[in-house]
Amino acid sequence: MHTLSVYIREARAQIVSTWRTPQFIIPSVALPLLFYGMMGLGLSKGREEIAHMMLANYVIFASIAPAMFGFGAAVAAEREAKLIELKQIAPLPAGGYLAGRLIAALVLVGVAIGLLGALAWLGGVRMVPWRWAATLGLGLASAIPFALIGLNVGLRFGSQGATAVANLLFLSLCLFGGLWVPLSIMPKWAGDIAEVTPSYHLGQLSQMLSGMQPMADVPHHLSILAAISIAAMIGAWSAWRRQAA
Amino acid sequence: MSSRPSEPIAMLRQAVKRRGAALALNGLDLDIRPGQCVALLGPNGAGKSTSVALLTGRLRPDAGTASLFGGDPRDVAARGRMGVMLQEAGLPRTLTVREQVELFRGYYRQPRPLDETLRLAGLEGLERRRCGALSGGQQRRVQFALAIAGRPDFLVLDEPTTGMDIDARRGLWIAVRAEIARGAAVLLTTHHLDEAEALADRIVVIDHGQVIADGTPEAIKSRVSGVAIRCRTRLSDAELSNLARVTGVSRDGGRVMLLTPSAPATLRELLARDETVDDLTVAGASLEDAVTRLVQAGAPAPTRQAEAA
Repeated sequence: MHTLSVYIREARAQIVSTWRTPQFIIPSVALPLLFYGMMGLGLSKGREEIAHMMLANYVIFASIAPAMFGFGAAVAAEREAKLIELKQIAPLPAGGYLAGRLIAALVLVGVAIGLLGALAWLGGVRMVPWRWAATLGLGLASAIPFALIGLNVGLRFGSQGATAVANLLFLSLCLFGGLWVPLSIMPKWAGDIAEVTPSYHLGQLSQMLSGMQPMADVPHHLSILAAISIAAMIGAWSAWRRQAA
Repeated sequence: MSSRPSEPIAMLRQAVKRRGAALALNGLDLDIRPGQCVALLGPNGAGKSTSVALLTGRLRPDAGTASLFGGDPRDVAARGRMGVMLQEAGLPRTLTVREQVELFRGYYRQPRPLDETLRLAGLEGLERRRCGALSGGQQRRVQFALAIAGRPDFLVLDEPTTGMDIDARRGLWIAVRAEIARGAAVLLTTHHLDEAEALADRIVVIDHGQVIADGTPEAIKSRVSGVAIRCRTRLSDAELSNLARVTGVSRDGGRVMLLTPSAPATLRELLARDETVDDLTVAGASLEDAVTRLVQAGAPAPTRQAEAA
């Protein structure tokens, strides 16, 4: 009971703190909504299937920024300020700090994705309920691999470097994952890069779940995602251990 | 979990810790008992922060043991009875004082009431301010509030009053004395010898990772027999140490400090050798003089056994 309440308090503090940081809220929540409103709905007026396809990509896009910045830039800044050190000494249950951050990132992603879904519905996108749940749910779950990648950045770079690296990764993951521009109209080498990005595989799964693509190669996508997540987890674990040494 | 009053709350035994190429701790022994305030003194790099890091579980000893409440300092149960104020820890800029203190209270099973915590740390009226908008001294007070939020049995204060004005320092001293009176053990590191003298009932001087003196402030002071003469002089250190009865020479800016058991004998000779002597004061040796002397003398003093017993 006590442990659970610590996780919740920690998450609440992280959410409040994030909410008061506009440089975080704007790219995390406002940007996906603005882009989707303009490009997904504005430009594709009357062609709901484009708005539908873009929604599938944008739920992944919307989860990258909160995870990447919440775990990358913010962890680096708190580490530099020795705030994490103080929390490691304080009687937080193991992983309390990281669990709090993860819950906070998921809440933010949840808000961003929920608003995206509402916007899409208003724009005329229609799906059967399970496809809605699966598409938005996948977007939410995709925060986890991105958070793990962000954590590597946050634990391995200083706060200035981490912000730069997180931005670079954020843009590359969106671009080479084919979330903004279809890979079919990009050069072939971009497609090769896409193969190693989690955003591409998540985007493909999202297209399938939302009914825009037939189910195909699911084990392939899942196994690459699992490999990337496990590698990121091992990397983050060793970096966390090293700074606790 | 509960320790008998005589048992140490926190303990280092023959602790060795290598940091990079240097040996930060070289077989250090340290005991801290309930209701005791131990000041850890020594020059920069003597091993003070490493000792604190070992006792708070931030580092593990390479050899020897570090224990807290009879167990591993990393156990969450042991950490739940400890409050720590780190030397350079930051605060989240966007949270208010109240929110941050509340968060830390929540880590402990039996926290101190919020109002009491804020009052003891002298934060009344600042509750709604964001931590990022506080002055350096105010931020230190928030750090202190975080350290006492769990009503700890062991309070670690690493350079607690850096950046505080005189009133804030005195306020913090009063709060620390109340914690000691409540039965908490305190480990204090500080560069302010007056702070150590005001709070500590035991002083441990360390250098090169070893204890070189351990005793009450009075016992430490009595190590330096006699009187401190301070002055400006053109005599060299070698000449000064050859003056009658001089037991120690150190320099602080343009002034030298001579320790002597007999001020008249030393003064007579000093004034005879150098007619330009200026800015002369004679005073009983302070704790600072004693620590300076002990660190200069280096190796553990021969009287240590007798005094520790």
